[in-house]
Amino acid sequence: MIQFTNVNKWFNTLHVLNNINLQVKQGEVIVVCGPSGSGKSTLIRTINQLEPINDGKLIVDGKDLSDKSTDINKLRAEIGFVFQQFNLYPHLSVISNITLAPIKLRGLSKKDAEEQAMQLLTRVGLAEKRDVYPSQLSGGQQQRVAITRGLAMKPRIMLFDEPTSALDPEMIGEVLAVMQDLAKSGMTMVVVTHEMGFAREVAHRVVFMDAGTVLEEAPPEEFFCNPQTDRAKQFLNQLLTPMHGATCN
Amino acid sequence: MLSYKFDWSVITSGQYHEWLISGLKVTIQLSISGILLSFLLGLIVAVMRMSHLKLFRWSACVFLEFTRNTPLLVQIFFWYFGSYKLLPTAVNEWLNNTGFEFAAALIALTIYTSAFIAEDIRSGVLSIPKEQMEAAQSSGFSYIRSMQYIILPQAVRITIPPLVNQFLNLAKNSSLAMTIGVMELTYQARQVESYTFKGFEAFTAATVVYLAISVIITFLVDQYNERVLQIHKGA
Repeated sequence: MIQFTNVNKWFNTLHVLNNINLQVKQGEVIVVCGPSGSGKSTLIRTINQLEPINDGKLIVDGKDLSDKSTDINKLRAEIGFVFQQFNLYPHLSVISNITLAPIKLRGLSKKDAEEQAMQLLTRVGLAEKRDVYPSQLSGGQQQRVAITRGLAMKPRIMLFDEPTSALDPEMIGEVLAVMQDLAKSGMTMVVVTHEMGFAREVAHRVVFMDAGTVLEEAPPEEFFCNPQTDRAKQFLNQLLTPMHGATCN
Repeated sequence: MLSYKFDWSVITSGQYHEWLISGLKVTIQLSISGILLSFLLGLIVAVMRMSHLKLFRWSACVFLEFTRNTPLLVQIFFWYFGSYKLLPTAVNEWLNNTGFEFAAALIALTIYTSAFIAEDIRSGVLSIPKEQMEAAQSSGFSYIRSMQYIILPQAVRITIPPLVNQFLNLAKNSSLAMTIGVMELTYQARQVESYTFKGFEAFTAATVVYLAISVIITFLVDQYNERVLQIHKGA
């Protein structure tokens, strides 16, 4: 589904992605973690070309991103992206936020798009918020709407860039529950997050990054209980709630 | 002692009153069509000015520099006395018989005002967080569609106060159209003055009417502004 081969990226002289090799298969849930500045956000943003790569090969859903003939807008429509800061459209109501792209890009009728949006809103528990504006919602609610906006395009891949980092602690759970539900439904997901409980429960693999390189790549049990590098050990020790260690023998 | 006898009846009834009313109608036609057209052209120029394509950006810059840095009166004269020389004779004759004065004035006012509107809209767009564009593009919208559905609707709302100024300027600047014979309000006030020598009354009337037009434009835009923006407070 997603294939990084020797991918490199620089911001001027800063080498933000250093020879990345990574494969994500259909239906897999990958959690990317690591200290801030390690390049994990940049990594996930290259997948829908919010950040173009400088070198190497990146294939997403069968399309080579460096190939000039790849229609990037068409590809992006197949990839849902959830931002740390939600980035809902403040001038549109919840329902319009969700139906805008399906109507304009998929050619759905307003009625069909709204019907589908209401099903999704019900699934995330926000059906009664259809006509309010983003500024009237809490952070957790906004993020659930943002996830719904992504899902409304029936994407083949969902990308999450620190979806809970801007939320108050008591709102993190409601967003993670939606993501967990989504993971169980078989969606291909790449999630940048510090929520190790989530990683442990739903990830198929955890990718640990530092200084632009992938240092470790392992199933969650293995990564949390038996990290191979000192950098990963240090990182895991610094997490305040050692949930990840709870069931290690 | 003041030897001047005020005679307001000159402007409140009769033939001269009719002149002023017909002038007012032309001023309103010129202002409303100018506002709509210059807003549209301003939007297009603003988007071109911010385009990734050098050709668009460059031509928008040239357009902006030319129109903002030359007097409106010269532009009006250019369109009225200059532009038609480039057209075939047949077209010229047709234009002369169909009130080319109005068209020339409208073109000049539209182009002149659109340059200022474009710059106002551009600064509005620049004030929208770049994440909005990222969100739109990650949904699969192209640059132009992102602008159309997500960025410009937000930018225009922010831009409303400076836009009102441009609309008011346009309405007031429409008085310059009298110089090429458009029979708008100022032209008619001048006519009334030369026929009756009641210059004070005639131009007082014109002044009051311009003031009223400005107040009405401000009021309408404020109403719209409040209705639309109320919902998004604190966003």
